[in-house]
Amino acid sequence: MRMSRLIAMTLGVAAMAITLAACGSSNNNSSSSGGGSSSSSSSGGADIAPTTGKKGGTINVQSSETFEHLDPGQSYFQVDYVVVYAVDRPLYSFKPDDPSVAQPDLASGPAQVSADGKTVTVKIRDNVKYSPPVNRTVKAADVKYAIERGFSAHVPSGYASAYFGQIEGVPSAPTNSVPNISGIETPDDTTIVFHLKSNFGATLAKALSLPLTVPVPEEYAKSMDAHNPSTYDSDPTKQAFTGPYVISKFSPSGGVTLTRNPNWDASTDYRPAYADKIVWKTGGDSGVVGRQTLAGTNTLMADGPPADLIKQAYQNNKDQIEFTPLGSRYVALNTAKGPLTDLNLRKAIIAVTNKVAMNLVRGGSLIGVPGTHFLTPGQPGFDEAGGDKGFGLDYMNTPTGNTVLAKSYLKKSGYKGETLTIVGAKEDPAPKSTALLVSSLNSIGIKTKLIQVPQSTMYSKFCGVPKNSPDICATVGWLPDFPDGYANLYVPFDGKAITAANNANWPQLNDPKVNAAIDKATGEADQSKRNQDWADADKLISEDAPAVPWQWSKDAELEGTKIHGVIDLWNSDWNLSFSFLK
Amino acid sequence: MLSYVIRRLVWVVVLLFLVSAVTFVIFYALPSADPAKLRAGKQPTAALIKSIRHQLGLDKSLPEQYRVYMAKALPFDLNGKGFPLRFKTPDLGYSYQNSQPVLRELRQRLPATISLTLGAVVVWLLIGIPIGIISAVRRRSILDRATMTGALVAISAPVYWLGLVGLYFFSSDIGKIHIFDGAGSYTPISDNVSHWFGSLLLPWIVLAASFAAFYARLLRSNMIEVMTEDYIRTARAKGLPERRVIMRHALRSAITPIVTVLGLDIGILLGGALLTERVFTIPGIGLYAYQGISNADLSVVQGTVLLATFFIVVANLIVDLVYAVLDPRVRYS
Repeated sequence: MRMSRLIAMTLGVAAMAITLAACGSSNNNSSSSGGGSSSSSSSGGADIAPTTGKKGGTINVQSSETFEHLDPGQSYFQVDYVVVYAVDRPLYSFKPDDPSVAQPDLASGPAQVSADGKTVTVKIRDNVKYSPPVNRTVKAADVKYAIERGFSAHVPSGYASAYFGQIEGVPSAPTNSVPNISGIETPDDTTIVFHLKSNFGATLAKALSLPLTVPVPEEYAKSMDAHNPSTYDSDPTKQAFTGPYVISKFSPSGGVTLTRNPNWDASTDYRPAYADKIVWKTGGDSGVVGRQTLAGTNTLMADGPPADLIKQAYQNNKDQIEFTPLGSRYVALNTAKGPLTDLNLRKAIIAVTNKVAMNLVRGGSLIGVPGTHFLTPGQPGFDEAGGDKGFGLDYMNTPTGNTVLAKSYLKKSGYKGETLTIVGAKEDPAPKSTALLVSSLNSIGIKTKLIQVPQSTMYSKFCGVPKNSPDICATVGWLPDFPDGYANLYVPFDGKAITAANNANWPQLNDPKVNAAIDKATGEADQSKRNQDWADADKLISEDAPAVPWQWSKDAELEGTKIHGVIDLWNSDWNLSFSFLK
Repeated sequence: MLSYVIRRLVWVVVLLFLVSAVTFVIFYALPSADPAKLRAGKQPTAALIKSIRHQLGLDKSLPEQYRVYMAKALPFDLNGKGFPLRFKTPDLGYSYQNSQPVLRELRQRLPATISLTLGAVVVWLLIGIPIGIISAVRRRSILDRATMTGALVAISAPVYWLGLVGLYFFSSDIGKIHIFDGAGSYTPISDNVSHWFGSLLLPWIVLAASFAAFYARLLRSNMIEVMTEDYIRTARAKGLPERRVIMRHALRSAITPIVTVLGLDIGILLGGALLTERVFTIPGIGLYAYQGISNADLSVVQGTVLLATFFIVVANLIVDLVYAVLDPRVRYS
């Protein structure tokens, strides 16, 4: 999962960093299926729909978080994405209100996946130019180079091997120079062909919306990529941009300024790019930044405000706050060893846990509701998986905990009074939700031993290392990298995804039926069938009861009084190209 | 005196090495996060992590890693043979979090921290010293009781809380009374002097509050003690004006401990006023350290700790030298 506010803000930055292993991103919302969804935000009163806006002016953006990597080859953080998708054009991207359908961006049409799923062909536009000083037209070879550099040690990508590792010829470990990947061919300047080792084509086609596919001109970037780390990242003003804006100023401590890209041709892009200039300041206390945003006029806050300010804004500034889905939080139950290998014991734990109370300590229904399965709202397949109600599994539909049901499962289990070890994060408010979990378990006679450590330690020493994994990891969370069941379910629940370090299949679920169902969905190219396949996989996972999905999370966005902020639902953050001043 | 200074300078170097070794052991041998795993991303194989560990030099022995780190950090080439030493640009590594060279970041952020520190020092001395003197001279008066009560409150108030309260009441953007520039308004002095001054006024006051209170209490107690000394009585008996007795005789003696504390405080703050910089979004060393700690960014933590140590030991040295000037009884040899 990519770094997100879900983690960065509430689960803890360090933790996420360590678990980069996991997810990725975003989250969307919406409801939908078919590929799609629609959907959207909830509760607040801000109008975030992408409508025709007023051109010109300066948008101010503030964030408590600082940028990590603005090089599209390394970018893997929700806040970074807001800038990257304003200044760059990957092969595909998403319209703000529709995360279900990937829009051809640099590509000129949909990706063509071969019948055997082993070849993906993409045609790119022949009229997209780089910003100065490069000034030339983008070629397919630039996309090939962009992906190849992600496998170099100098441009460490957090997800290249996970989503592009099935391409023929990718190196098994980062190389000291940009490798030539034989499985990426560019027969002409506008065609790029991916040859894969397996029938991964349908899933690769989804991943082509990631920033790794943003073109990078080799002749320009090569000297920068020769440094370790690449200076293409450390000074992003020197990048070659293809989006409506360029990064004209950058300060690691201060932020960025975006101005118009003189070589951007609006007729080649679906983005309106209303504002003339965007000034983004980073750093500072999130409570102060949030209050400044509410008090300001043309300001957007790009990361999440603290819970108290969310409540305050919801009560007093309803037209300045909006909520969008943002992944999920769950309690991982160790299915690989110890007492929790017993399915009925896991079901008892899920049934007795008071998920509503756990949500309350994080801010209540404004920022999350109990889940009933593992595909999160807005993900393709969510509706096929029963939507909010899920699959009707009795132990999953117990928002406030059901002691009677839990005891019936406990009775069926082979539980003999063993003490279950729980590891949870010690950063507030994690200890409160963990305490509620412990209380729920103790209420039906399950004995527990609680270990609370920093979030980063929880992942790096315990939950992310299978040999050290406790019975229960109390405070884990997941955010898909892109809107697809693969990004939602593969890493957290497929047995093949279990790794010795940075493991994010925290329950260590390795059920051959689940693995096979995920394989089937991964190879399915037809969107409606694919959605159903992911729902089927989700059902099998839910029947295995590997975790307590106690929160489908939401993210809060704040904006000033005289700005029409538009949210990218797939990223749960502002889209600077669609936002405009009123 | 010169030999004393040289000896102290040698000790500064030794101390820096010791601190660098300790921080290295703490942050590298007992890490809260493994940089190789951080870089490995999703679903890394053991081979991938091993490869990255090798590329980062983390597979070397700890002493070797330390040697490599120091060889890069030193301003001269350790591999050069004999004298003269070949000087080079020190390299404190780069941030794993955002690929920025740590030394460059420290250089760019230092002016903000110096601005914050020195301005706050001026404020707390201007407030703390007069209050200390007046409270000592008018001991047990209403003024004394009021200022000492205020000092107690100021010392007790966490700077983080005080900063937020200051912003919520007095900042021009989110405050109730719009007096001071808000958080995030810091402007370098080289860009605009008046904006620089305006943006730092509230942070100076907030940072100075507890220091001013502490200095006032310290000076008051010193002054009260000094005022009972024989030479003060003698000065008064000679008919010297009371103002002269206080300012020339009592204060000079009472202020010596203040100089000690001041030097150390300046050294500590130059190493980064974490909370103040965080609350007011001042892009200085403290905010950098805060972000480095939050992100388990080992190079940043190491760099900021070394810089803070440098400032503290240098400040300590300067304090000792100033002592000799202030107090004729002190002589170094």
